[in-house]
Amino acid sequence: MARPRRDEEPHVSDARAEILAKIERAVRTGRIPGGEPHGAPAAAKTAGDSTLSNADRFILEARALGVEVFVEWSAEAVRERLALLTSGKRVLAWHPNRLPYKAGDALPGAVSGAASKVEQARADVGVTGCHGAIAETGSLALIEGSGCSRTVSLLPPVHVALVRRADLIATMGEFFTARADAMAQSANCTFVTGPSRTADIELSLTIGVHGPGKVVVILGP
Amino acid sequence: MTFAARARDAIGNHQLHVALDRTTAQFGLRRSAAIATLDQFDAVRNQARAAKMQVLRTLGESLQEFERQLLASGARVHWAQTGEEANQIVVDIALKAGVRRVAKSKSMVSEETHLNGALERAGVTVIETDLGEYIVQLGNDRPSHIIAPIVHLTREQVGRLMQEKLAVPYTDDTQTLARYARERLREEFLQADMGLTGANFGVVENGTICLVTNEGNGRMVTTLPRIHVAMMGIEKLVPTMADLDRFLKLLARSATGQKLTTYTTLIRGPKRGGDDCGPEELHVVLIDNGRSQMLAGEIAEILGCIRCGACLNACPVYRTVGGHAYGDTYPGPVGAIVTPGLRGLDKHAELPGASSLCGACRDVCPVRLDIPRMLLALRHQAVEQTPQPLALRVGLKAFAHLASRPRLYRTAMSWVRRFLRSRASDGWIHDAPGMASGWTRFRELRAPAAQSFEAQWRARAATKSRT
Repeated sequence: MARPRRDEEPHVSDARAEILAKIERAVRTGRIPGGEPHGAPAAAKTAGDSTLSNADRFILEARALGVEVFVEWSAEAVRERLALLTSGKRVLAWHPNRLPYKAGDALPGAVSGAASKVEQARADVGVTGCHGAIAETGSLALIEGSGCSRTVSLLPPVHVALVRRADLIATMGEFFTARADAMAQSANCTFVTGPSRTADIELSLTIGVHGPGKVVVILGP
Repeated sequence: MTFAARARDAIGNHQLHVALDRTTAQFGLRRSAAIATLDQFDAVRNQARAAKMQVLRTLGESLQEFERQLLASGARVHWAQTGEEANQIVVDIALKAGVRRVAKSKSMVSEETHLNGALERAGVTVIETDLGEYIVQLGNDRPSHIIAPIVHLTREQVGRLMQEKLAVPYTDDTQTLARYARERLREEFLQADMGLTGANFGVVENGTICLVTNEGNGRMVTTLPRIHVAMMGIEKLVPTMADLDRFLKLLARSATGQKLTTYTTLIRGPKRGGDDCGPEELHVVLIDNGRSQMLAGEIAEILGCIRCGACLNACPVYRTVGGHAYGDTYPGPVGAIVTPGLRGLDKHAELPGASSLCGACRDVCPVRLDIPRMLLALRHQAVEQTPQPLALRVGLKAFAHLASRPRLYRTAMSWVRRFLRSRASDGWIHDAPGMASGWTRFRELRAPAAQSFEAQWRARAATKSRT
């Protein structure tokens, strides 16, 4: 078997061998408690009203985080809502062919993630689709890829996400399983759970530190 | 300076008490409310604990598999035996790539290795971007809590600091203070050549690095600069994505009382072909720095710690003396174990004593670490390692001699009882003699009863049998 390639500097591989040797000795003497047998099926579900649909649960959780949620029943209504939210604003958006509901039509003059960092940082609103909407936490899953730059959900002060009913999924655990392939193809998968916040000063909640201070979801058909 | 001296200073610091009171109790309440939203909290904790202990038992294999997965994703992997080695690796990466500015997301392990100083000595500018850490850096201060670095400061103190260092108008409005920081740090994100982070978790099965932040700074520093360096202790692994899911459920709830942190970022290698953004290079620095030593002994279990800070908020000692009294990177109950583990018990022999062993830390720990057991084990080691004073050794030997001879013991105790009663007034001893004077310095000692318990018991039994 070929040895894995790693940095060739000698002190690096020395350190590696030393550390692994120390660990091998350590686990023989260390007091590492047993636990319950590992690999038991995940029983973890978020407590709460399990009769809620994924859509209702997602809306409830997202609103509790301070996310503004609009529910629309047609692609046209989604585009109209989006146009209302972005009119007169500098828009940074995913590539039109990555947005659902032909939403790119409602965003003339939008800048894409391929533009310079400085230009992207000037945008007022970022518009994305999503790769999953996690009901139990109200989170948006965004997988990096061509036309889906994560700067869009990060740099502007407002993030508008378009969510299709088909994107809804009950838990993060289910998302990990269902989208394992897509995640393996990507360098970055981010779960956005509400607006950027901090509580560093006396635990007092402050919204919009480095990421968007406002997150808007348009839940379409 | 000893822990006792630092603790005494802290107890006399009124500002600190205001700040600690405002926050630690809040943290505890929020945690309780958050865990109520998780079904079978204890079952999840058990599974998480089992996963961590499994990783520790197989740490060598787990690290090698993690490394294989990282390399396959295009990341570069470095190993460091000590903090200095880790810093040197990061400095080398920076110098080789011509890095002038490093933007840092919050990382405990980089605090542990004192990375900032090493980079600055190499001529590289470092900017902390977590709001709390940024304020720490502005004030040349030290973080005092694992997840809330400036828990020791009041908003008024932060306002005055920003007024002085950033030349902005004074305010104690936290929203405005955060905006000041946002405006300044935005430029830094755009200009930095290197982003530096820790790692909350490394997933063995696929080489994923998981970072959680609330502010978005963790996303910024892994998105905008051309190089990303993640420093991580060798113990930060979890076996699978299913385990990661469980740990994420526990971490935010235990730390801040959220169901999930605002941003949960899963990183697999550097920027890929079609991506518009992301770092061209991803370096992962795996750091031992005393961990394999800890793994070899009684405190191996502490390597399961996920740094949520719940034990700090629950600890009556931490809540009284704050984080700085612990004298190193990791404060609170976890610090009382990790600090002697990382830096040597000889230098921190008194830290395991900084606990009343009430067990509140064990109750709140999301990985159910038996912190009191480890504190006791360290106390035991500390006593065995350090030569004890002659008076104590002779005294204990004499007591052992006495205590194993009942007749002699009873006679001696009756003398002690008589002596103590002779010094008491109103049934209390206000001023004990000799070595016992420590007891009565801050409190009184109840005078012993005229007769021993044994004598009273015998008298009582005699009375009963007569009736």
